[in-house]
Amino acid sequence: MRIRVLFIACLLFLPTFSIATELGSVTERVEETESSGLRDELSEGFEYSMRFLTFGTCQKVADSSQNPNNDFFQIPRYSTELEIRPDLRLTFRRLDLSVKPRMNLEWNAWEDGVREGDTDWDDDWFINEWLARLQMTENLFVSYGRENLQWGPSYLFSPSNPFFRDNGRSNPKREVPGMDFARLVWLPGMSWTISFIANLDEGRQEFRFYEFDKIYALKLDYTGQEAYTTMILSHQESDRNRLGAFGGWTATDALLIYGEGTISRGTNALYPKNADNPFGASMVAVDDEDSSLKGTILAGGSYTLEVGPTLTVEYAYNSPGYSDDQAKAYYQLRQAAADAYTLSAPMGDLSRLTLSRTADPKLRFLRQNYVMFQYQHNNIQDVLNLTFRWTQNLDDSSGQFIYIVEYFVGDHAQLFSIGSINSGSGDTEFGTILDYQWMIGLEYTF
Amino acid sequence: MNFKFQVSSFKLMALLVMVVSGIAFHTKPLIADISPKKILSMADEARGNVEGIEWEIKIESIENGRKQFRTLKIKARDFNSLAEFLLPPKVKGRKLLMIDRNMWFIKPGLRKPVPISPRQKLMGGASNGDIASTNYAGDYEATSVSEDTVNEELCYLLDLIASNKKVTYDRIRYWISKERLVGVKSEFFTVSGKMLKSATFEYGNSILIQGKPKPFVSKMVITDAIVKSNVTTMNYSKVKLKKIPDSTFNLNLLVR
Repeated sequence: MRIRVLFIACLLFLPTFSIATELGSVTERVEETESSGLRDELSEGFEYSMRFLTFGTCQKVADSSQNPNNDFFQIPRYSTELEIRPDLRLTFRRLDLSVKPRMNLEWNAWEDGVREGDTDWDDDWFINEWLARLQMTENLFVSYGRENLQWGPSYLFSPSNPFFRDNGRSNPKREVPGMDFARLVWLPGMSWTISFIANLDEGRQEFRFYEFDKIYALKLDYTGQEAYTTMILSHQESDRNRLGAFGGWTATDALLIYGEGTISRGTNALYPKNADNPFGASMVAVDDEDSSLKGTILAGGSYTLEVGPTLTVEYAYNSPGYSDDQAKAYYQLRQAAADAYTLSAPMGDLSRLTLSRTADPKLRFLRQNYVMFQYQHNNIQDVLNLTFRWTQNLDDSSGQFIYIVEYFVGDHAQLFSIGSINSGSGDTEFGTILDYQWMIGLEYTF
Repeated sequence: MNFKFQVSSFKLMALLVMVVSGIAFHTKPLIADISPKKILSMADEARGNVEGIEWEIKIESIENGRKQFRTLKIKARDFNSLAEFLLPPKVKGRKLLMIDRNMWFIKPGLRKPVPISPRQKLMGGASNGDIASTNYAGDYEATSVSEDTVNEELCYLLDLIASNKKVTYDRIRYWISKERLVGVKSEFFTVSGKMLKSATFEYGNSILIQGKPKPFVSKMVITDAIVKSNVTTMNYSKVKLKKIPDSTFNLNLLVR
């Protein structure tokens, strides 16, 4: 309720502030006072934007053991959403304040599983991001707020980021939910930045199968004339230390080469292990105490053709990912759990517990070798953006095709369509959740 | 007699020397006394390469009959610049950060900065590299310097070849006004010798550098080499020198 009041207050505040800003310039001519000077300073430092998004989504659930008869994930067949996204920001002297309240109205319809034939309306009022930042000295900044901290050059995913799994690249119209961070940023020079980052609360992120643990990170950035590099040392409470890094090089005016990765001693990822239970196995963090180095590394490059399009290729090696034998055991366990899903307790409960572990085994990708190709052509005739991306799992031969089409209509509106088509059987990574998803919508910006 | 002749000859010689030296001192040399690099660096200065400056650009493009516009605010220092999209509303809030040759594009709602190449198109005939401060003095070598006129203005014509692979254009023919030492026209070529586009420049703005007023670019008109009706016009306004701190160009602080 409080969020709704705050959201409405923000919306009301927008036009009021705009009118006050315009009136302010008239009043100034009449009387020069200190308060008008302050008002001018405030109005100059105030920025806002308002976006309305409405879109419809159609998706077909995959026939897979992870989601038997769509009873586990209960994914709707159709949905429509309306989202209002005002972004407000005030820069006043050394203080920087921003807030991004959101209102989401959603309608869903199910055609599969226990909710077959169901429809549902839902509204959600929340603040996805907010930030209060104080400039202590010219080169020292301290902040606290709900943020979506993203970095790194790669499209496929960002292994160097210890906080967020989703880098927001697969669907740019869906905002990544923010988490709560305290940050201290020090700029010893133009080329160097040292940041201390504490992730203190899960914020809007949902940890469906596990509890949130605080993460602390030290980040060191260097930006040179034609290259940049960053190292991130992080520690997760009740877990381990990780070292992440990324870097990029502008090799020519058209060619970018980059890499990103992370390493740690052992891993908290879950693996199928023989167990004395009706399924004969369970998901266990077998390498939790292992001191050997485990890591994920991604190498990529992009080239912009003279006629406009940019071609990108990325390869990722994910050493904690499953080998063929582990994958076989994983899918066998998942199938056993799926077969018992509709049984009563205790088998039904064990099935749900097992499927929640197989759904999120704490791996960004399930297997070890991936390659991604992307064709991107923006600003075609200054109105059309196209992105086509193919991701191939080299170990189980499943793949995912993503397209993003954006078309500007006039100065305010954009039509968009975003979709994905997954190839592979139900016992492959990309064939597990959806066969396809198709979204079409309109974004209107004031 | 001989003596008289010698005296007359001496006078004649002296007169000749005076006339020649007088001409020499009162007309500009055909080819500049200053080096091509110096000419280029002075021309660069009038296109953004100064210690802390801010301006707005209104870009209007006509491409295959379709008109579009963008308004951007640029904050620049040396070869670093931050371009913020102000208008139209559909692109408001987008940012383009250029730290020397590194470039990132930031979209509101998509928090992850995307590294991009200078070659990527910004709008119409303008590439990302076209709105950045120019560093022709550092990026190009003049293979020849000659003279030409542009709109009846006497110019140095410099044939520039890229000194590294990291620049947007492999070759530029650059006309620099002899009197004002600002670039007034350029032609951009690929490595195969194909002309991509041409541009003309106007300098209606003025900035103070070390207390002296210096011309600053006010208009750049880019014309496509193949489809001549595809024209992109960049109007520069609200130019002001100001201190631009390091934090302006910092990705950790920029994405909000």
